[in-house]
Amino acid sequence: MPLELGPISQQVDNMAQTIVDLLPAEEGFLARAQDCLRSADADALRQKLEWQHRQQIRIPWLVATPRLSLSGTVPSPSPPSDFSVVGIDASSIPPDRHSSIRYYVLNVGYALLSYGRQPDAVLEASSQLCFQDEQLYVFPQKRDVPIEGTLLSARMEVESLRVLQKMLRSISRPTVALRDGPLILWTLQNESKEVQHALLHDLLEAMAFLRQTGVPLAGYISYTGSRDVANSLRVWLCQGRPNECERCESDDRDLCLALARIRDRDLFAFLAEGDRSELFGSSSQILEEYGEHRVDFFYMNVGGEIVRVEVPRWVGSDVDLLGFLHAAIYDQCQRSPGFPPYPPALLEAHEQAVITAAERRLVEQMVEQALGQHGQRVVRSAKDDSKRRRGI
Amino acid sequence: MNQKMLGLVVDGTFSGGLTARLNPGTTTEQLRIGNFVVVEGQRNRYFSLISDIHLKATDPRLLADPPRDTSPFIAQTLVGTSTYATVEVRPMLMLEKVDESDVDAVLGERTGPEPVRTIPMHFAELREATELDFATVFGKEGGTNFAMGTPLAMDIPICLKLGRFVERSNGVFGQSGTGKSFLARLIISGVIKTKVAVNLIFDMHDEYSFDKQTEDGHWVKGLRQIFGSKVLIYSLDEEMGRRTGRNVDVTLKIGLNQIEEADIVLLSEELNLRQTAEATIGLLRDAFRGKWLLELLKMTPEDLGDFCQRSGAHPASMAALQRNLKRLQRQEYVVDEASFSALDDMVEALDRGKHVILQFGRHNTVLDYVLVSNLVTRRVRQRYEEKMRRYEETKEVADEPRPLMITIEEAHKFLNPAVARQTTFGTIAREMRKYNVTLLVIDQRPSGIDAEVMSQLGTRVSGKLTEERDIEAVLTGVSNRSALRGALASLDTRQQILIMGHAVPMPIMMRTRQYDESFYRAMGARVGITRDAETDIRDLFGDQ
Amino acid sequence: MRIGEIVETMSTGFVAESFELNRPPPLGSLVVVRLPAEAGETSSGMDLYAVVTYGQTVGLDPSRRAVRRSTDTVFDQAIYQEHPELNRTLRTEFGATLVGFFADGQLRQHLPSQPPPLHFSVQSASPEEVQRFTDRLHYLRLLLAPYGQVSPLQVLAANVREVYQQRDYDRVWLDTAAREIATLLKNDHEALLTVLYAIDPGESYDRSGGGEPT
Repeated sequence: MPLELGPISQQVDNMAQTIVDLLPAEEGFLARAQDCLRSADADALRQKLEWQHRQQIRIPWLVATPRLSLSGTVPSPSPPSDFSVVGIDASSIPPDRHSSIRYYVLNVGYALLSYGRQPDAVLEASSQLCFQDEQLYVFPQKRDVPIEGTLLSARMEVESLRVLQKMLRSISRPTVALRDGPLILWTLQNESKEVQHALLHDLLEAMAFLRQTGVPLAGYISYTGSRDVANSLRVWLCQGRPNECERCESDDRDLCLALARIRDRDLFAFLAEGDRSELFGSSSQILEEYGEHRVDFFYMNVGGEIVRVEVPRWVGSDVDLLGFLHAAIYDQCQRSPGFPPYPPALLEAHEQAVITAAERRLVEQMVEQALGQHGQRVVRSAKDDSKRRRGI
Repeated sequence: MNQKMLGLVVDGTFSGGLTARLNPGTTTEQLRIGNFVVVEGQRNRYFSLISDIHLKATDPRLLADPPRDTSPFIAQTLVGTSTYATVEVRPMLMLEKVDESDVDAVLGERTGPEPVRTIPMHFAELREATELDFATVFGKEGGTNFAMGTPLAMDIPICLKLGRFVERSNGVFGQSGTGKSFLARLIISGVIKTKVAVNLIFDMHDEYSFDKQTEDGHWVKGLRQIFGSKVLIYSLDEEMGRRTGRNVDVTLKIGLNQIEEADIVLLSEELNLRQTAEATIGLLRDAFRGKWLLELLKMTPEDLGDFCQRSGAHPASMAALQRNLKRLQRQEYVVDEASFSALDDMVEALDRGKHVILQFGRHNTVLDYVLVSNLVTRRVRQRYEEKMRRYEETKEVADEPRPLMITIEEAHKFLNPAVARQTTFGTIAREMRKYNVTLLVIDQRPSGIDAEVMSQLGTRVSGKLTEERDIEAVLTGVSNRSALRGALASLDTRQQILIMGHAVPMPIMMRTRQYDESFYRAMGARVGITRDAETDIRDLFGDQ
Repeated sequence: MRIGEIVETMSTGFVAESFELNRPPPLGSLVVVRLPAEAGETSSGMDLYAVVTYGQTVGLDPSRRAVRRSTDTVFDQAIYQEHPELNRTLRTEFGATLVGFFADGQLRQHLPSQPPPLHFSVQSASPEEVQRFTDRLHYLRLLLAPYGQVSPLQVLAANVREVYQQRDYDRVWLDTAAREIATLLKNDHEALLTVLYAIDPGESYDRSGGGEPT
């Protein structure tokens, strides 16, 4: 309430002006960047990157390794006559730091949409109250790494795939599995190896099941902010070391610096609708732990925006699976009523997964009541109490 | 009981009448102002007349924008629901209801309909009157109940109580062409047949005695032909008496000695008398007593002059008076001196149960009519007064004079406000039935009759009247005037009448019965004409 | 045949979700909720009658609104083939006003003392039930205060048309109903005309189609 909107409004105006002023210059650099993308030699770049990796030259940004070409495009094939798409999403009620009771709620929503001669839809949610040590801590005996924050997010991804796994036991036609968000759990990067292993174990197991079942899995990232490929172009342009820009005397210095601001979604804006780029490998460290399920990605024009799609290697290297996935995603986006389009399977999965504030309060009440019946009182922190009451 | 239900009572006051809402199936066009209807209260049955009809709508907006071009479905739905009609109904008589299932009560003694003392509650049913209702109110035909006609849409007789009829003076009204003389004939026939009174009829236009041709061209019988020797014909016209086929029993002469001052004054207009006439006559009377008229007419101009000098009368006035009064003398039937015995004999005949018709023949000017009628009636009334006095002393039944009904036409001549006090008729009307003499007054201008006289008329039989003041006049002194006003104006010109007053329990509209063969038979069958008389008539007049 | 399940209930009526998407029962038609006999009581159960006063199809989640989905090649019924999730995210519901009940062999045309229980089934009334119920017209008054957004006059007219058809075009019944309505709406002539125009058999009713203007 005490936010001073007057001065802020003025500053917003200044900001808008600044952005607009810079646009023409930005557009110029983008064009040059796209030219660069087309003209760069993919093989040479691949070698340069490998060499730097072997030299353990630290590149401070994520780079993408082109699997084939940099600027190649692949049009979308047609999907089969009968097929299904299952979207999954998850949300949670995180553990309440201000409460004396420790628990959290996971809600995985999924939408299985079947098309063709017998169209059908299954929209469900799978909810869980997690309160046991195995669920609350990465290492239940030690109880030193609580599952919360980024670990909880990772837990959610894992849980989604576990639910997906259960559901896929009874499918009867070609199916594609999509989740909203990355398959690369880069948030686990800074955790210890033990934690990473503990959390990734179930994830990789689920992915193995999918591979076995022949269900291609993809992470769908809308409005992607990645710069992997743009960063690779900087490596391409760089004459020295990638992190010594102060000493750079290259002609393309300005382009290189501009590339630092250019996002892949703008870079790949040349993609025609329905087309995808070639596959790229990610340099995210966590992928070391993925093994055969190492995740690659590509960009795709779904008709209104460029999205990033992450796929396990076993999908990327299988022409049929990759083609099916590509076709399914494009088909989904064509069925989307909104603009820019968004896969209905993910939309409905999200609707199933979402937990409203009212539902959240309901769970809290249920917990308090249940404990009360067993003679226990829930104690809240002073801060929490004051936030709830907000007395004057 | 298959009565036609008309509607339900929804409003009303005792003094103002009831309002009934018509049922959806009843159209205003099947009802008439003046119709006899019945309201079934819980405890009483109300015999009533329809006095007004209103159109209503449940929502006034409907009237501001009435449906045009609507389908028959919508039109038929609106009738009786959104649009409806009410009738104003005036209870005239009420009858306490008995439990129909209680046989003793139904068959036992019940008082007849009584004056209305209360009104029914909401939603009492309104229905058409049935035969039983008419019979309950008006009685069945027979005895002194004389059938005057039938309801407009039914075939049952409505009766006039002739016994009560002759208890008062009465009037027969209606604009010209409404058949007043037929009505009079019906009534007089009834009176003759039921013997409730004897009749003296001053027949100005020779309508009552013998057969007469109507407007339509066919012939109707006269009273003499229906009732034979019960009816005596007197005539002023000698020649008439000599005509074949039309027996006149007595030819009447009027003596100048019989003419009184009052007679002359009554004839002021006819004789063209000056205002001074009365005064002049007064002087003559002072001088000559009863013979004043004779003396006046005998006077030579010198005699006139002498007299004027002696009495102080004005010569010009005298001369004028003499001149005007000479007209009287010139009348064929006027003689200088006549005995009253002819008139007294007439009274005796009346007392024996004979009925007298006085024909005027050729002498049917207003002058003749007024002079003779007034004069004769004065004598008759005088004789009746004497007889009544005697009866009051002796109290012998045989001494009671028979009730007499005197019929006069053009009644306004005798009974207008100016002269009502002076004519014998006015006297008779005001006296009511003091001496057993009543009037039957026939007129087409009831507004010309003195209001006080009019209010003394017990029963009024009226055909159609259109003049406001005539309608008001006929309704003088009648209760429920507003209800009857509409009825009077709505009568057909022929054969529809409204009867109200003493001789009917409640005012009623009806179609008069035909004055035809069946009527003659009805009159002849019960009373009077013996086979001999019938043969006489046939022999004399040939087959009618 | 069960056509829906009650999802909102109150003394004056209820809202039910239709089993078939986009096909609520016809406006003005008579529906029945059958209540079993109370345990331990001698009465034999009760049938509640109601008149359908509106139908609508909305998202299951009230915060989600329908968006345009048709294209040049995919439109109308095909949309439901192409977007199978619609059968799960939409629901068709209809509202009905209670107009009477049949219990202990007696037909009553006023509000029952209890609203129907939540989640109970709704059925279409059979022609015999319609015939029996509409022999008496007192229920028309209850339709003047319906449950829903449709004008009570239109609901009333729809009911009369439906019943007329179900009673095999009983013209005597129609005329009687029209007059009853004329009495109910006696103070509002425009409202009355609105209803009469809508039930006029000559004008607004096609015997073959049912509801198509001739």
